[in-house]
Amino acid sequence: MKELNRDTYLIALSHIQDVSTKTVNGILKEFGSEAGAYANFFELTADEMLSKHNIPIEEAVKIAEFKSQLPNFAFLNDNLVNQGFTMVAASDSNYPANLINNLGYDRTPSILYLKGDIEIFKEQCIAIVGSRDANEDDLNYTALLSKKATQEFKVVVSGFAKGVDKKALDSALELNGKSILVLPQGILTFKSGINEYYKKILSGDVLILSTFYPTAPWLVKLAMARNAYIYGLAGEIYIPKTNDSGGTWAGATSGIKKGRKVYVRYLDGKLPANLKLIELGAIPLDEEGDEIKGFVRGGKVNPKKKKNIKPPYEEGNLFEN
Amino acid sequence: MNFSFNREVEEKRLKDIFGFSKFYDTQWDVISKVMSNKRILLIEKTGFGKSLCYQYPATCLPGLTIVISPLIALMRDQKKFLDKYIIPAATINSGQTPEENKEIIDKATRGEIKILYIAPERQGNTTWLENILNFNISFVVIDEAHCISTWGHDFRPYYRRIINLIDRFPANFPVLATTATATKRVQKDIEEQIGSSFSTIRGNLLRNNLYLNVLKVESEEEKFLWLAENISKLDGSGIIYTGTRANSELFSRWLNFHGVNTAFYNATLESEERIEIENGFMDNKFKCVVSTNALGMGIDKPDIRFIIHTQITQSPVHYYQEIGRAGRDGKPAKIILLYNPSKDSDLPLSFIESAKPDTNKYYKVIEALREERHTFTTLIKKVDLKQTVFRVIIADLIDMGIVVETIENKSKKYEIKFNAPGLNFDMHLKLKEAKLLEFGEMLFYANTQSCRMNFLCNYLGDNSADDCLICDNDLKIFEKVPANDSLAEKLSYFKENYFPEIIVESSGSNIVNGVAADFYGFSNTGQIIHKAKYENHAEFPETILFRLIAAFDSKFDVNEIDIVTVIPPTISGDIVANLAKQFSEKLGLKFSRDLVKTRVTQPQKVFQTNYNKNENIKNAFEFLNPGQILGKTVLLIDDVFDSGVTIKEAGRVLTRCGAAKIIPLTIAKTVTGVD
Ligand SMILES: Nc1ncnc2c1ncn2[C@@H]1O[C@H](COP(=O)(O)OP(=O)(O)O)[C@@H](O)[C@H]1O
Ligand SMILES: [Zn+2]
Repeated sequence: MKELNRDTYLIALSHIQDVSTKTVNGILKEFGSEAGAYANFFELTADEMLSKHNIPIEEAVKIAEFKSQLPNFAFLNDNLVNQGFTMVAASDSNYPANLINNLGYDRTPSILYLKGDIEIFKEQCIAIVGSRDANEDDLNYTALLSKKATQEFKVVVSGFAKGVDKKALDSALELNGKSILVLPQGILTFKSGINEYYKKILSGDVLILSTFYPTAPWLVKLAMARNAYIYGLAGEIYIPKTNDSGGTWAGATSGIKKGRKVYVRYLDGKLPANLKLIELGAIPLDEEGDEIKGFVRGGKVNPKKKKNIKPPYEEGNLFEN
Repeated sequence: MNFSFNREVEEKRLKDIFGFSKFYDTQWDVISKVMSNKRILLIEKTGFGKSLCYQYPATCLPGLTIVISPLIALMRDQKKFLDKYIIPAATINSGQTPEENKEIIDKATRGEIKILYIAPERQGNTTWLENILNFNISFVVIDEAHCISTWGHDFRPYYRRIINLIDRFPANFPVLATTATATKRVQKDIEEQIGSSFSTIRGNLLRNNLYLNVLKVESEEEKFLWLAENISKLDGSGIIYTGTRANSELFSRWLNFHGVNTAFYNATLESEERIEIENGFMDNKFKCVVSTNALGMGIDKPDIRFIIHTQITQSPVHYYQEIGRAGRDGKPAKIILLYNPSKDSDLPLSFIESAKPDTNKYYKVIEALREERHTFTTLIKKVDLKQTVFRVIIADLIDMGIVVETIENKSKKYEIKFNAPGLNFDMHLKLKEAKLLEFGEMLFYANTQSCRMNFLCNYLGDNSADDCLICDNDLKIFEKVPANDSLAEKLSYFKENYFPEIIVESSGSNIVNGVAADFYGFSNTGQIIHKAKYENHAEFPETILFRLIAAFDSKFDVNEIDIVTVIPPTISGDIVANLAKQFSEKLGLKFSRDLVKTRVTQPQKVFQTNYNKNENIKNAFEFLNPGQILGKTVLLIDDVFDSGVTIKEAGRVLTRCGAAKIIPLTIAKTVTGVD
């Protein structure tokens, strides 16, 4: 029997206010794709949710209250599918492993709304993100990074902001590379973008991804939250240019803290915020987009470059005291 | 929730709310299942009382009941009914303004509506979608559920998609699907489609007030003769169904010729005109309406006393559905099929044969969509297919999972789905085989010597029916074609002097309905035109001129015409203009060739869709020296009337130039078109 209603439960659960991602993902892990289990679950009282499934009582109350709204979500689910979107749950086997590894299962988005080839997740992904107010030089450098990654068959993940993000995307596509576009809004409100990248979606080169409620409009708050998912989807993070506040900065610093590989353009230390990031532990990149090996704090690029240098340090731990 | 599962208690409430003292057993059965969150497919004949099976639960349930219904007219009738009992109901539909619809949505959100009727297409509407998430929905009903099945004869693409919607509802959510016509095959299809969560309740379909008759004839003429002789003898008013649009006109005019008040009805009529005829029919202004199957479900006239088919239908399901409209008040109604065994299979067979468009047209649509996303209009223009054909293709492609319909700022865009499967026409072959079998069953109905109602009920899956005892086979009383030579003479006189109407009147233009000398395929006029135009560029033979004059005379008076003009040719040639000139000379009318093209146009027949025909001809005319026609009546001559796009456009131009009245006159009118 077809179990099309699993996603109805899933969408509903993921967007109940004051129910944590941890709780929802826990339920997903327990029930997987078995729609009947969700149906039974929703028949329970809050107390039973607590006793049988360990759902914290305040959250259990919210979930039980939400039951009457389930039919509404059937309409939403149906509409998403009719418009060619797909949904993937954190517990599904085709959910991107990077996200879980980087964010932890308890914090990874419960549901992804997608359009395009979800097999892209299986390929090596890098994020290219950065400032919205990039100048031409910044953009050229972004293009260089993006093309380099594309030539290495890596998928470029970016946020579809103007400036660096958009450039990274377009440069990858110029070389017939692949890209994941992580939206700062619900997937149903991303209209023009789908038009622009339609043929690339069709050829399997662009995957549109949103973690938010499908009809959510663009919001600064969502754009900020979205950065964590961009970083989370990627193995490595590349930053052509950052400011010392805002989404790129916040994401990069927290990534560094978690020991993620964050690569930043060095440009002889002329980009102050970039330099600050390097000092916090980001890996500097030279003008060809390669890692500057043997870089020392406050120092200059070694003129002989990487070949002859044996790094005296563990990669990524350059500035650890 | 306000439901006791105690029949007596609930019947008291029923009496209070609806004034009925008892539930029928089947109603009670369905209602108590619905109230236990079950999913039911209810198959019961028209007039049984299916509506109560959801209207009553709707009054018990805490939230909103959504009824998905195929026709605005049906929704309105239901709303009227509920208004009587002060049950808050509303319909959202495309006939209302977006503001009106929004207001209803807001009411539903506030819980001020109990029953909301929508068309399945509403699922593709953004406002609906954004707001439905705030509803409190208790129950969903699918009216006319046979539309869900591919095997159903009223297949509507959006209906098909409801299956998926239903599957996406949480378990333990009640759904009721109702229909009056579901064969075992459709039932099976619906059950399979909707899944095992549904159980079926089937009532008996026997309609014991329908007197079924089949009258075999040996020629088309005999149908005309029988009708002329018998129509006035039938009680009350009714419907004559014809196979083609041309025949709806022809039969209607023939009966008028005999002093019987009829109107014809088909999809070519403007909607105002259709509504006028529908209302006239409701008010018994006509003895009968002669119609293609365009006159359908929307007609809720309880006292239709007869239904006559001049063309055998494609299947017993079609037939049962169409005759089911008679005698809804329970009083006797006469049902007659006029059947010519040697000829009448042609139309259904060609219909079945061409039910699905050529495969290359499917590829054409896919190719266009691979290049870019399209709206309905840009796509139909791009691929240049007839709208009917195009709709079938798009629906099929969506059904096959190849195309999806997205919503972008209130308008729809089609796109190819990533990873779409290849085209697969297996289903089409199966469908065609099934349709051929169904038609075979219909022929069986026409030929059977046992009870006809029994056959229909059996075919529709109701095996419980006894013989009706009132059909021609049971009564052993058979209708006969009258042997009446003077009537036959009258008929041939009528046919010779019959000139098809050209229906083009519309607001904003001073053009009126005109006349054609002939139907394109009926006599050899078509061939003559074709030869003259495309083969030897000769002149039209004189017979054409005479017939044109006769056509004109049949409806108009030469004294009312001030000036004659002609649609300029597309490519070259003056043959139509020359004919128009001869016509004017013969009648002593002023002739002008001042209606000219301002730019080159393509022959209209190269375009399939009216969108492109319109674009081809839009603003392509002007009238030189408009002073000549200011305030005047203009006779506008053209060769063939087909889509009407050209004549209507010329009518608009002449109106703009000051013409007070424009009368179109053409050599022929095409007959293509079954509805
Ligand atoms: N239990 C009942 N007792 C008396 N009349 C009823 C009952 N149920 C329905 N009716 C009446 O029967 C008629 C036909 O009902 P309707 O629902 O329109 O039929 P259907 O949809 O099955 O064709 C209506 O006029 C309705 O008021
Ligand atoms: Zn009988």
